[in-house]
Amino acid sequence: MKRARFSLGYIVRRSLVHRRVRSLAALLALTVSAAVATTLLTLYVSLNRQLHQQFRAFGANILLTAPNGSTLPPETLATVRAIAGPESRIVPFAYAVAQTTTGAPIVVAGTDFTAARTMDSWWQVSRWPDAAATTTTVGSPVAAMVGTRAQNFLHSDDFSLTYNGRTLTLHTAATLHTGAAEDSRILISLAAFTAWTGQGASTLEVQASGSAAQVEALLHRLRAALPGVQVHAVRQLVESEGRIVDRTRSLMLSSLVLIALTVGICVLATLTASVLERRRDFAIMKALGSTQHQVALLFLLEAALLALAGAAAGYLLGSLCAFGIGAWNFHATIPPLWQAAPAVLLLNLMVALLAAGLPMRILRTMEPAMLLRGE
Amino acid sequence: MATILQSAVGSEALIHLHGLTREYASRAGAVRALDHISLTIERGEWVAVMGPSGSGKSTLVNILGCLDQPTSGSVRIAGTNVHQLSRQELDRFRSETIGFIFQQFHLIPYLTALENILLAQYFHSMTDEEEARRALASVGLGDRATHLPSQLSGGEQQRVCIARALINQPPILLADEPTGNLDATNQEIVQEHLRTLHRAGHTIVMVTHDPEMALLADRIVDLHHGRIAAERRAGVTPQK
Repeated sequence: MKRARFSLGYIVRRSLVHRRVRSLAALLALTVSAAVATTLLTLYVSLNRQLHQQFRAFGANILLTAPNGSTLPPETLATVRAIAGPESRIVPFAYAVAQTTTGAPIVVAGTDFTAARTMDSWWQVSRWPDAAATTTTVGSPVAAMVGTRAQNFLHSDDFSLTYNGRTLTLHTAATLHTGAAEDSRILISLAAFTAWTGQGASTLEVQASGSAAQVEALLHRLRAALPGVQVHAVRQLVESEGRIVDRTRSLMLSSLVLIALTVGICVLATLTASVLERRRDFAIMKALGSTQHQVALLFLLEAALLALAGAAAGYLLGSLCAFGIGAWNFHATIPPLWQAAPAVLLLNLMVALLAAGLPMRILRTMEPAMLLRGE
Repeated sequence: MATILQSAVGSEALIHLHGLTREYASRAGAVRALDHISLTIERGEWVAVMGPSGSGKSTLVNILGCLDQPTSGSVRIAGTNVHQLSRQELDRFRSETIGFIFQQFHLIPYLTALENILLAQYFHSMTDEEEARRALASVGLGDRATHLPSQLSGGEQQRVCIARALINQPPILLADEPTGNLDATNQEIVQEHLRTLHRAGHTIVMVTHDPEMALLADRIVDLHHGRIAAERRAGVTPQK
């Protein structure tokens, strides 16, 4: 006797290959469902990070100021950096009211251009002064960034300002337009400002990442560590960020559930039709003496194989979609979410087994004779 | 299963139907396909069931093959009241006792001729490729083993169906219009196979419209409106 290599797995393989158009349609449906689930899950998980990153473009959400026109203690910047963590951005500002050659008062701000450029990326600057140009060299004018409204008080690119009897010659290295108070100011490097006025930074603008609660906790820590310094939250920004993040997450979650349901129903319909159209095969196998379990296993195995292949292809496709959406919408890299893989596989298996199991239950209740008659 | 078949040994008829009724629900009300049929078929007998369309012939064969359940009445096959069997026992009983030859052949389209026979073996016990090949050769299709049903003619498909029905050596063969879809040449081939099986001692219940085909049987049962209108020995004028 020669045992033939004939098993349920072999029958399933022959069925899938022979009915390749149907099989591909079912595989496509399961791939799409897995891809949609992967994309949405990946985006949902990375949404917090992406939104907070977007909000960072709006500038500082915490302000630290010295009381009564004094300057901040020199160690303040290091203390804030240590408490806020390396993710946070900090920009120091020092202010003085100087006079032009015509006697007009004008606000001069000293800052760290490199840090300001990172945090206030929404500022419209003709050309950011490079780090070398912001340091003072003997005999050469200091590079200045001049606000668009402040330009009205100056008559050439090189100009002089006087503060407490000390004159500083400046050269317009760039123009600045923000639509805010900075437009009326002249910005120079903090080092040049301190050398000219003898004053250090009086304000630190901090861009802290995290949720509203995390920012609030940071405020408490800063107040505790710097008792002589006024620490304020930029309330509008912190609260708006919290609200928008919460609402966006809810919206995303609702969309995820709705889309998953819609895709699930479509897949269910496709697979159910695929099983039901083979009810005659079911009846023939019954006529040949197969048990309910054998036939059920055959159909379920087929559905599970398609679900497995669909989940693998869909996960790759979904990760690619999430990456594309991240690059397109957030200008950020959204890496594949490995944790989504088992969830997507489980989801696909559930949908496929449900889609195969439901018609199987119907077929089990029908006599094979009725199915052979085409009912 | 052994107890089921053992109980068949003895003088009792192989098939015994008593007061068999089958009704189907329809929008117009219940349709009675079989109406209190009582019939006995002896071991080794060849019975042809004839009658016009809708007379209940196929329903009768389906109930005999345990592919359908009667609304009332009893079906006793090989000493077993099939009504009393559980679903699992019924599946086993069907694979051990009955072989089907369908008018529409009903081969699995994605399996080759050989694999269609192996499938019947697989559901019965275990596969034996050599035996399956011999069965295929016995119906003259030894060279068609690797062909899919779509690559076979109607006659060839019916012969595969016969080989499949016989592979597990069931005592009863149920044939529903076995030559209904075949040309004259293939009809003759299938008739010859059935004659051989009958000579080998198989009990055959065959539904047919073809009077010539019916004449091959030992006995002809005429159905009309779900009732036995007449019974006769083949070649004898019908007696009401």
